[in-house]
Amino acid sequence: MLEEFGNTAVSNGENATRFSLKLMAEPLELSWHHCGVTSDFIGDYFSRACARDVDPVDARHSISYMINEILENAVKFRHGGDIEIESSLENNSFEIQIRNRIAPQTAEGFREHLTGLLARDPGELLLERIEENALNPDASGSGLGILTLMNDYEAKLGWSFVSGRVSEGVELTTHAALRLS
Amino acid sequence: MEIGTNDYRVWTEGSTIHYEGTMRLSGTDAYAPILEIMNAVLAEKPELITLDLSGLEFLNSSGINLLAKFTIEIRKQPDVGVRVLGSKAIPWQSKSLKNLQRLHPALELTIS
Repeated sequence: MLEEFGNTAVSNGENATRFSLKLMAEPLELSWHHCGVTSDFIGDYFSRACARDVDPVDARHSISYMINEILENAVKFRHGGDIEIESSLENNSFEIQIRNRIAPQTAEGFREHLTGLLARDPGELLLERIEENALNPDASGSGLGILTLMNDYEAKLGWSFVSGRVSEGVELTTHAALRLS
Repeated sequence: MEIGTNDYRVWTEGSTIHYEGTMRLSGTDAYAPILEIMNAVLAEKPELITLDLSGLEFLNSSGINLLAKFTIEIRKQPDVGVRVLGSKAIPWQSKSLKNLQRLHPALELTIS
């Protein structure tokens, strides 16, 4: 079964500059450290491929921030398995799909979270979430990754959940698009 | 006071807190020792606390949460002022630091 939230449309076509990468669960022992090096690498790669009217410093940083935040979530919540990254650039539009498996109960909580999130203004939600975090010092995650991407970076985000057999978990694809300027 | 790794360094000079490098720590717990240093400066109740971020190249969203949380702590103490120094050469600062001012309008933000 497929369920989609937010903006999952892919607009970059055949002529896009593309780059794909698979972070293998074994024998690398995927860890936090891989998020930063991977996102910096892809940010650097595409900042060199973008058009002359794009600020390469901003492109490198924005791509890196976006991938790092999504990968941090993938590493934190993944239910075993590899993490696949597909990225492309065309007409100053950078798009990425990051695919990983999550546990069915993680998927359920995340779908609920997204339904609430997509119904509201990200700027208002960001401030609300910060105030809530300040009142809950024991909360382990800040929940600010998605909100900063939407509000501060004006990224278009979408999520598709594909579920089959319960034992296999749910395949989550995070879609993100960024207009480079 | 100083804390750091190969990736970043945080240190204090009087009531100024300096940040340098790339901070991508894994969550609230991982940032706790840094928050401790920041809270120690606030505990002295100086007239003005300066957060000098002009050398902080990268900060993940958990780190942005740390700055926001500290801003709220300062907001609770009307006698303590706060100034944030950033750099135009570091893109995340122009994008995300304005959120601190929305949390605490008296916060003075200079990105130069």
